[in-house]
Amino acid sequence: MKRLTVAVAGNPNSGKSTLINAIAGTSLQVGNWPGVTVEKKMATLKIEDLTIKLVDLPGTYSLSPYTQEEVIARDFLVKEKPDIIIDVADSTNLERNLYLTVQLLELGIPVILALNIFDEAKKKGYEFDIVKLEELLGVKVIPTVATKKDGVEDILHYIKEFAEGKSVHSPKKIKYGDDIENSLKIIEEALKTSNPSILSLYPSRWLALKILEEDQLVLKETGINEDAYFLKKAKEHFINAHEEDIESILADIRYGIASGVTREILSKREVRRSDLTERIDRVVLNRYLGIPIFLTAMWLVFKIAFDFSSPLSDWIDSTISGVVTKWSKFVLETMGTPQWLVSLATEGVIAGVGAVLVFLPVIAVMMFIITFLEGSGYMARAAFVMDRLMHYIGLHGKSFIPMLLGFGCNVPSIYATRVLETERDRKLTAMLVPLMSCGARLPVYVIFIGAFFAQNAANVLWSLYVLGILMAVLLGLFLKRTLFKGFAPVFIMELPPYRVPVLRDLMVHTWQKLKHFVVKAGTYIFAVSIIMWFLLNTPYGVEKEHSILGRIGKTISPVFAPLGFGTWEASSSLVAGLIAKEVVVSTMAQIYVDDKGENKGESEAAEVNEEGRDENLKKETEMGFFEDLKETVISFAVAVRDSFVSLFSGLGIHSLKAEEDEEQKTLQSKLKGIFSPLSAYAFLVFVLLYWPCVVVGIAMRQEFGSWKLYGQTMIIHSVLAWLVAFLIFQGGKMLGF
Amino acid sequence: MKLSELKVGQTAKILSLSSKGAIKRRLMDMGVLSGEILRIEKVAPLGDPIDIVIKNYHLSLRKNEADEIEVEVIE
Repeated sequence: MKRLTVAVAGNPNSGKSTLINAIAGTSLQVGNWPGVTVEKKMATLKIEDLTIKLVDLPGTYSLSPYTQEEVIARDFLVKEKPDIIIDVADSTNLERNLYLTVQLLELGIPVILALNIFDEAKKKGYEFDIVKLEELLGVKVIPTVATKKDGVEDILHYIKEFAEGKSVHSPKKIKYGDDIENSLKIIEEALKTSNPSILSLYPSRWLALKILEEDQLVLKETGINEDAYFLKKAKEHFINAHEEDIESILADIRYGIASGVTREILSKREVRRSDLTERIDRVVLNRYLGIPIFLTAMWLVFKIAFDFSSPLSDWIDSTISGVVTKWSKFVLETMGTPQWLVSLATEGVIAGVGAVLVFLPVIAVMMFIITFLEGSGYMARAAFVMDRLMHYIGLHGKSFIPMLLGFGCNVPSIYATRVLETERDRKLTAMLVPLMSCGARLPVYVIFIGAFFAQNAANVLWSLYVLGILMAVLLGLFLKRTLFKGFAPVFIMELPPYRVPVLRDLMVHTWQKLKHFVVKAGTYIFAVSIIMWFLLNTPYGVEKEHSILGRIGKTISPVFAPLGFGTWEASSSLVAGLIAKEVVVSTMAQIYVDDKGENKGESEAAEVNEEGRDENLKKETEMGFFEDLKETVISFAVAVRDSFVSLFSGLGIHSLKAEEDEEQKTLQSKLKGIFSPLSAYAFLVFVLLYWPCVVVGIAMRQEFGSWKLYGQTMIIHSVLAWLVAFLIFQGGKMLGF
Repeated sequence: MKLSELKVGQTAKILSLSSKGAIKRRLMDMGVLSGEILRIEKVAPLGDPIDIVIKNYHLSLRKNEADEIEVEVIE
């Protein structure tokens, strides 16, 4: 049994992930590189008696140690020493792609150069002298069209030959010219005598090169001083000869090799055809049309993401809280399970499962769209158009999309921060996303606005959304100067050609995200749901006021007194809102609307008349179960239909049409007795701004590897919420509202 | 003159980069090297960033970064 480790490297937009998907398909395992937020994909493949460990390196343009992606790729190549590298290059842009290839050759590891997107290059009239390319670089060259799986077999075949020792290619040693070769020799000699142990860890020529480049990471790891005698000596003669610094000289040489090779092996027939990408961009990035087109595209994205997924989410929600809960309750009660356990099972466990499942449609649709935007090349254009605005609050143009999606649901927005290139941008964006008023806050607004601002409903609702955006701008400006000070985000970004994304890629990516969410996030959400049940129901059967949650609410209520809602009911609801902001309303309903036979009333009645109820239920069962099943199936079909219908119908955010039922009316009239319009508005502002729900926190943990960011976000947002609600309530009082 | 001062459609040759550290290295990695020819393709609708064609592909960068690139107009 032979084992090989194969690393896959390549420029962003070279079709690398498509090629990986074509090679490994669903056997890809997705995780994070240790300690960072960069995605790591791996797969284990078997070809006869050969086991291949395939590791996808982050897409990079270079191996210089300035971006996290580059450091990861480089560390893996240098430290894990893969047996062979598949270098995926975009054939339509060979020169810039070969720049990375040259750096891979410096490592001395055998390389398979996959000339990807070969069909497009051919169409553009490029001709490649593949034999000569192999000869010049000492690599195996395989033309590929990853979208059609062309060339995948050839790659695997070659890897197998390589494993059997049949490969004839060995990476060419790159010559840097006499000056540098001399310096390298001096450094290598010096290392041999002074640090022989280091030489066994790194490829020696590569190490010498990095030391000469004064690569800070390598100097630090090897403990070699910048002012070391041999280094000074190595550099002295060409410091006099050249004006430029050594990094620039080497970049020049590497690009020189890349363009020299390109010139030798590439010829272009004249093709009379204007570039499709440029034609599209003439419209899409047009001075006057650019922004309207962008806004239209974003409106479509938003509409598809939420209108399409919400009927499905609603269906899951109503099935779980309706039919599933009802029948589980029935089964448990028939088995004679104690009432508290039934309540735990249905309101804790089953509701917990529901809380996880409800997110699936929206995450699936959103990941699909994001992957589509990235794969098609539009994401880069969106960033190009929006960068000016986003830069103002210390963000990158690409942050706009996660922020926008936040208006639907903050959770997938946190996942969508992946599109950003630096960890700083990702974190800052993730921290601002919760200020975008998500769909779960809407039920709270609807209840209160219906009770207090029915005349002015639209204006009040609008004011909350605008306030959220305004706060994001202010908080962005503030964080840019405090927590995220010092790292200026750069915007040096390729505008890749437009391409039609492959459906297989979109599916694989979406599927992986879903799987990841259910496994990783699902467990936490489930646990939180059960914990909340205990908070609300222990000791079991007491008035809500005396439950743990009620007591927590009572303890912290003085904090909210200056904001106009210092009651235990309001504070308990806010605490419960940690699960999801709409829970603020359902908790209030439970507390204020005096258990209209739903919870406590029913259980007491049940105990009195258990026998009778059992019989009733049994009767109901005989015909009821199949009825319910049928109804569930039908309602699923309706939900699917609604999803598609909403794609083609006009604007209409689903959750806005919150149905007015009796319970809601009772709650509203209760609220009128407790809140004044001013304190109601302060309360809404507080709900808008205060800590994001725990699912956002779980998503943050998943993306950023720790609870720290969520912790910071909770504190900052809650303080912000308190201050703003305070200003509104006290200011409003002074103005006589 | 500076890259940021060029008008859309102009072609220029890069003379030097005065950027520092990571930004300079990133620019060089993207092929922005002295001696290289580039063309200003577009300016974003809000006036920043700009889109240039260099080494046969499109690269966008902010005017801040373009300020630090000395060029000489060819046509």
